[in-house]
Amino acid sequence: MAGVKERKTTEMLEIKNLHVKIADDDTKILKGINLRVPKGEVHALMGPNGSGKSTLAYVLAGKDDYEITDGSITWNGEDITGMAPDERAAAGIFLAFQYPIEIPGVATMTFLRTSLNAIRKARGEAELSTPDFIRLVREKTKALDIKDDKLKRPLNVGFSGGEKKRQEILQMALLEPSLCVLDETDSGLDIDAVKIVSEGVNALRGPERAMLIITHYQRLLNYIVPDRVHVLSDGKIVRSGGKELALELEESGYAAFGAAAA
Amino acid sequence: MIPEILKTRAEQGFADQFIAGKAGLPGAGNAWVEGLRDAAWKTYAATGLPHRRIEEWKYTDLRTLLRDAYPPAPALAEALNGDDIAQALGKDMAGIDCHLLVVVDGHFRAGLSDVSGLADRAKVHSLGDALGDPEDWLKSALEQTRSDTVLALNTALMTGGVVLRIEEDASIGKPVHIVHLFAAKDAASITTRNIIVIGAGAEVTLLESYVSLGSTPAQRNSVTDLRAGDGSRVQHVKFQNENLSSVHLTNWMTRLGADMTYNAFQFSIGASLARNQISVAFAGEGTSSHLSSAVMARGKQHNDTTVVIDHAVPGCESREFSKLVLDDAARGIIQCKVKVHRGAQKSDGYQMARGLLLSEGAEFYSKPELEIFADDVVCGHGSTSGQVDENLMFYLRSRGIPEAQARALLITAFVGEVLEKIANEDIRAAFMNMAETWLASEDE
Ligand SMILES: Nc1ncnc2c1ncn2[C@@H]1O[C@H](COP(=O)(O)OP(=O)(O)O)[C@@H](O)[C@H]1O
Ligand SMILES: [Mg+2]
Repeated sequence: MAGVKERKTTEMLEIKNLHVKIADDDTKILKGINLRVPKGEVHALMGPNGSGKSTLAYVLAGKDDYEITDGSITWNGEDITGMAPDERAAAGIFLAFQYPIEIPGVATMTFLRTSLNAIRKARGEAELSTPDFIRLVREKTKALDIKDDKLKRPLNVGFSGGEKKRQEILQMALLEPSLCVLDETDSGLDIDAVKIVSEGVNALRGPERAMLIITHYQRLLNYIVPDRVHVLSDGKIVRSGGKELALELEESGYAAFGAAAA
Repeated sequence: MIPEILKTRAEQGFADQFIAGKAGLPGAGNAWVEGLRDAAWKTYAATGLPHRRIEEWKYTDLRTLLRDAYPPAPALAEALNGDDIAQALGKDMAGIDCHLLVVVDGHFRAGLSDVSGLADRAKVHSLGDALGDPEDWLKSALEQTRSDTVLALNTALMTGGVVLRIEEDASIGKPVHIVHLFAAKDAASITTRNIIVIGAGAEVTLLESYVSLGSTPAQRNSVTDLRAGDGSRVQHVKFQNENLSSVHLTNWMTRLGADMTYNAFQFSIGASLARNQISVAFAGEGTSSHLSSAVMARGKQHNDTTVVIDHAVPGCESREFSKLVLDDAARGIIQCKVKVHRGAQKSDGYQMARGLLLSEGAEFYSKPELEIFADDVVCGHGSTSGQVDENLMFYLRSRGIPEAQARALLITAFVGEVLEKIANEDIRAAFMNMAETWLASEDE
C-alpha cells in the first residue's frame, strides 16, 4: 500500500502454510494459510461463517483445543507456536473474543488490575499504584462510554452483548498490545456502539502495532479503514486486496469468491 | 456390663472412660446430672459408634475411622496467654474485634476471656460450673431428645463449655467469639457443650472457632445447643481449623422462634476427619434460616457436612448453600435433608451444593433429601460438581495472567461466592484471606 514502508519479518506477524485441526479429532479447519501483517498496518480478515476465522484467532492466542499439523506462526521473528497463552500476551498478542467469557465471582476491576500487573511484570515494568490504576481505568472507560458500576460487577456477568464487546476494547486499551486480533467485535453492536468501539481501535493504531480485524460484514471497515483485506474460505485465503475489496464483497457476496455463501 | 455390640477398641475406650471418670466429671454428686449422664451412656453403649449402615453416617463410618479413644484432655493445661490464643487462631481470625470466650481443652477459662463489654446484655457462665446445680431451663436444654449416639457420648462425657444467655432485645454489635482451643501435650479427647439462649428481639453474631496449638492429635466432640427467641436476628458462624491429625465432630442443634432470621455459616479447612452436623428446627412461623458452608480440603482430609432442616411449623423459609474445594485425595460430603411436616404449609426450602475438584483423586458426594408431608410447599435442590473451567482459564491466561495465578483467581472466586453470604465484614474478610492463604500453600 502507498505510504507503508517495507517491514522486516522481525516486525510483523507472519503465518506460513498453516494447517490446523481440532485437537480431539481429525477435523481439519485451516488448510494452508499464508498471511503477513506488518507493524503499522491494519488488515481485515473476512469470510463466511464457518470458514475458520475464529479458529485462526484462537490459534494465534494459543488455545489448546486446536493442533497445528503443519506450517509456522512467527511474531516479530519469534516462533510463538510453543508459547502458553499468557506468554503470548506478554509478547504483546491480544485477542478480543467474538464471545467474551463471563467470570462469576471475579470483579471486573480486580480482573483488570491482575491482568495489567501481570503484563507489566512480564515487560519488566513496576506495578501501578492504586490511584494511578484507577485514574488510567477512568480515562479509558470514559472514552468507551462504560459506566462505573460495571467495573464493580463480576466480569461480563449479566452484561449485554455490546457491553461485553466494549469490555474487550477496554482491556485492549489498558494492556496496549502490539498485535491486536479483533474477532467480530462489531457483531451485536448498534451503529453508535460501532462508532465508539471503532474510535477506541483507531486510537490504538500506530507504527508499532499490527492489527487483524476479523469481520463478517463490511460495515465496520467504514470506521476502521484497513490497509489490506483478505478473504477466508474453507480454511484458505482465497483472495487479498486493498480496502476496496471489502466493498466488492459487500455487493457480490462471498459466493463470487468461490466461497459457500453464509 | 458392656453389651456385646461394643467391639472396637475406640468404642470400648469411650465406654471405659465414662466408668473410670464419671465421679470426676462436672455435676458429679448432683442426682439429676448423674441420671442424665447414666442414661446417655446407656444409649451410647447400646449401639456404639455410628457406622456406614446408618444412613446419616453412610459416608463417615466412625466405627472404622476412629481406631482408638484418646484419654480425656487433662483439666488444666499449662498456663496460656492471649498470644497463644492469637497464634492458634491465626492473624486473620485473631484480628477480629470481638467479645472473647475461651475454652481450653474442654474447660472454660475466664482468665483468658473478655466479656466486660457485654455488661448487662448477656450472661456468661462456665458449663462445668453450671452443672453443679443446673437450673430448670438448663436442664431442659441438656435433656436428650434425639437418638444420636455421638450426641449421647457428648452428654455422658462433657466436661465444660460456655453457657450464654442473651437478654431480650439486646443488640450486640461485635461478634461474641467462642474459641475452642486444643492445647494438650499428648493425644487427647475433648468433649464440650455450649448452651446459647437468645432472648426475643435480640440481635447478635456468634462466632465459634475450633483451633489447635501445635500438632498433637485431638478427638473433639462438641455440641452447640442454640435457642433463639421470637423476632431475633442471629448470625452464627463456625471456623474449623483443627490440626491435620485431629478428628472434629461437632453438632449444632438450633431451635428457632417465630418471625426471626437465622443466618449461619461454617468454614472448614482443618482436621483429618471433620463431621459438621447441623440441625435446624423451626418452632415458630415466619422465620427464615440461611445456612451456608465453605470447605477446603486436600491430602486425605475427610469433611462431612450433614444437615437436617425441620419445617415443623408453617410459613418458614430455609436455604442451604455449600461450596467445597477438594484437592488430592480429599473427600467432601454434603448431606442435607429437608423435612416438611404435615400442616407445615407455605414452607419454602431450597438447597444447592457445588464441588470443585482440583484433582482426579478428590471425591465429592452430595445427597439432598426432601421429606414432604404438606401439599402447599416449594422445595428444591441442586448440585454441581466439576473442575476449573478451561475456557475461563484460557480467557484469563490470554490476558497475561499466568496459569497458577489464573487458577487461584478462579478458585477464590468460587469460594468467594459463598463467603458473600456472611453478613459480618470482618469475618468475611478473614475467611477470604484464609482461603487465599490455603490456595497459596497448595504446592507444599
Ligand atoms: N473446538 C471446536 N470443535 C469442533 N469444531 C470446531 C471447533 N472450533 C471450530 N470448529 C468448526 O470449525 C469450523 C470453523 O469455525 P470457526 O473458526 O468458528 O469459523 P468462523 O469464525 O469463520 O465462523 C466450523 O465448522 C466449526 O464448527
Ligand atoms: Mg467466528
